Amino acid sequence: MSLKAKQLLIGILGLIFLVSLIFVQWVEVIRKQEESGVIAHHVSIPDSSQSCVKCHGDLTAGIIDHWKNSTHAQKGVGCVECHIAEKDDVDAFEHYGKTIATVVTPRDCARCHPKESSEFQHSHHASAGNILASLDNFLAETVEGNRELFNPHSPTPGMDVDMVNGMASANTGCLQCHGSKMALKTKDGGEVTVDDLQPDDQGKPTNAEAVARILRNDKDQPMLTEASWPNTGIGRLNLDGSRGSCSACHSRHDFSPRRARQPENCGKCHLGPDHPQKEIYEESKHGVAYRDLKGHMNLDAHKWVLGEDYTQAPTCATCHMSAHSRGDSENGGGVTHDPGERISWTNRPPISAKMDTDKNHAVIKETDPQKRQALIDEGGDSWQAKRGRMKQVCLHCHTENYVNSFYHQYDSFVLNYNEKFGKAGTKIMGALKSHGLLTKTPFDEEIEWTWFYLWHHEGRRARHGASMMAPDYAHWHGMYEVAERFYMELIPQARELAEHAAENGQKEAAQSVREQIEDILARPEHAWFEKAKKEKEAGSEDAAAKTADEDSEVENS
Amino acid sequence: MTRLSQWWNERLPISGEQLRELTNEPVPNHMKRWWFCLGGTPAYLFVVQIVTGIMLAIYYQPSSGTAYESIRHITQDVSFGWYFRSIHKWAATLMIAAVVLHQLRVYFTAAYRRPRELNWLIGMCLLLLSLGLGFTGYCLVFEQLSYWGATVGSNLMDQVPGGFLFKQMLLAGEEYNEQTLPRFYILHAAIMPVTLILLIAVHIMIIRLHGITEIEKVKAPADDQKGYFNFFPDHILTELAMGLVLMILLSALATIFPATLGAKADPLTTPEVIKPEWFFYATFRWLKLFGPTFAVLSMGLIVFVMFVWPWIDSLLVRITRNKDISIYIGIVGVLLIVGLTVWEAAVTH
Repeated sequence: MSLKAKQLLIGILGLIFLVSLIFVQWVEVIRKQEESGVIAHHVSIPDSSQSCVKCHGDLTAGIIDHWKNSTHAQKGVGCVECHIAEKDDVDAFEHYGKTIATVVTPRDCARCHPKESSEFQHSHHASAGNILASLDNFLAETVEGNRELFNPHSPTPGMDVDMVNGMASANTGCLQCHGSKMALKTKDGGEVTVDDLQPDDQGKPTNAEAVARILRNDKDQPMLTEASWPNTGIGRLNLDGSRGSCSACHSRHDFSPRRARQPENCGKCHLGPDHPQKEIYEESKHGVAYRDLKGHMNLDAHKWVLGEDYTQAPTCATCHMSAHSRGDSENGGGVTHDPGERISWTNRPPISAKMDTDKNHAVIKETDPQKRQALIDEGGDSWQAKRGRMKQVCLHCHTENYVNSFYHQYDSFVLNYNEKFGKAGTKIMGALKSHGLLTKTPFDEEIEWTWFYLWHHEGRRARHGASMMAPDYAHWHGMYEVAERFYMELIPQARELAEHAAENGQKEAAQSVREQIEDILARPEHAWFEKAKKEKEAGSEDAAAKTADEDSEVENS
Repeated sequence: MTRLSQWWNERLPISGEQLRELTNEPVPNHMKRWWFCLGGTPAYLFVVQIVTGIMLAIYYQPSSGTAYESIRHITQDVSFGWYFRSIHKWAATLMIAAVVLHQLRVYFTAAYRRPRELNWLIGMCLLLLSLGLGFTGYCLVFEQLSYWGATVGSNLMDQVPGGFLFKQMLLAGEEYNEQTLPRFYILHAAIMPVTLILLIAVHIMIIRLHGITEIEKVKAPADDQKGYFNFFPDHILTELAMGLVLMILLSALATIFPATLGAKADPLTTPEVIKPEWFFYATFRWLKLFGPTFAVLSMGLIVFVMFVWPWIDSLLVRITRNKDISIYIGIVGVLLIVGLTVWEAAVTH
């Protein structure tokens, strides 16, 4: 090849190389645009889901659009990959040549996300559906509604109403957060749930009789009951035996990690008078910083590691679940889907308890220290270890001394509530119940509402306020209202019940309750309450005695 | 202009004539064949590796707590980070391939024979250094496979007498620890490249001293009767054209098949399948076939034989009186290596 030809060749190759660099620049620009949300991410639709996307793109455009903006869509995870079912799954049906199920459970998600699913199954979140025996459930099912269908008072103009569903409040209120017990309609007009199906380790039903009862529509599809579906409650009791719903936090179809990292996501359930964590967070300096600096928090980061991807402010996820840069073998540091791994007090019950948990991740109720320790040692987890993990998060922005002093303040606050009001109220209510001065039906007496407000609403607000550094919730929305409720309502109502009991001949019971109340009020922390009154009464008695003596002297003289 | 050139000549007293003489090494005509660029190709790719390696070193953090995240940062966040990392990865692959092909060319054209035995030895060192750079570079990513690859590789050293000392030196302890990655990093980014540069310099110096081997069996293109042509500009333009082709190829590979990032290294979870980089497939299959001790010792022997091949070849030629005996042995060796590599690539375990 001549030199001229070589020079020409080099010129052509140089031009091609320049074009390749321009192409690289174009790829980089597209990447940056996708990252900043200027343009949509590249979507790869797997062959298995081509027809789903085509059809549902017209029928339910929103679902397909949401999915197209998901990481799943970028990575080629389509509709069938999640909705796929096996023929022996109770909720499976044939849909254009594919065996699928409507509801995607954590067991399905575990096919690709086993670690996340396993952590979640162990969490308190996953057991949120077990509220059948709780007071909250009684309120919704009985007090607010009715466990049976009932007749309407009168016609509803424009609507034919034969019967009223008394479970509506529970279904629409409680269960949308706590999770429903998924149910399929049966041929006899009833329903089958996980209790009837008794699924095995693989989620397959073992009760053939229950399976045989399942009603199928004209397309041979099993039908979920309206009461149990739609539902994305975090503790949903699924037909395959798994608990919960990943979409409770990650939302359906776009499965946004960005959304799950924001406190507004938790605010669907963690708000309101009884557990206003979201409002408490907003009042705290953490929430204030978040509102101010949200745009700098790199919420789209792949792993979103505190200390690496952001440090501006913590969200709910930051402290309770997300990854951080101070991890080690003892303290973790990776993302966890069990928020309980970093929580050292449970402030849910009337009396806060330390979060020692056993090998089944249940809070240990054993009071003997040695037995308690043995349960922790047998695969459990201590509250100290949990606090240690949380401290590693705090230490990204605070010194050790600062964090330790905060926990000292928090512990002192919870102990003050526990000892002054939590245990005192529990004892008074216990005395009333044990002496038969209350009926067995909850919420049919005023004092039961009073006590419920005290611990379930105001007491929790106070403790959560202290746990997340919101002074107004700790004090005015918290302890102030607890105190008022205790002194101005609980004590008088308990005394009144004792008085009625005495009038009705239950003198021993009345006396016992009175003694319980007086013992509590005689304690130093309550002594201020009736001190002046008692001194006044004592003064009056002295004066009366003095007057009587004088009268007697006069008579004698 | 005259004053300027005078000023320049005073400070750098090299005349244009001297420069021409220095660069106009007469190049044998067979080098006009494009496929005789395999010596220049790895050198060119090595320069690419130095440039992209420096770019990556700006962001890379060599500790087990930060390495993986810094690679993720390079790949996902840094502007053009994915491009430079992908170029680095592909250039490494092509460099090792080019070194191997260059060595095969030297072998099959018997260019290692007297008086070029020393350059063969240096070439062997360059081959091993290139493989070492590939291995340590792969380890620096700190993903599952690179971590376990390093663990398997270092554990192999335990199988030979005295190997544990070398293992301890490599890992900075008896097993993978906090000090291991910094050690790999120093090896990958300082010790090995500097040694490579020095050896390449000696390699080229010896080539210049001996002149390029003239190959009887390769005929020059018919249009040239001189037997030689000038290094500059004739050959340098050929190399430049090859360099541009390589850059286009690298750019295309980096864009179409960018470097990926697997799961982060987890010392507590052994992956179901452990595979090294492709250039170790043959040795990995050898290891699986014969067990660790025999495999390590036999591979050591093979490398030793390769080092001293110029003398073995001379002995074989004398015994068999057949000048092509090494070619037959080479064909068997290449088929064996290719066979083992394909076998390992084809199976999951």
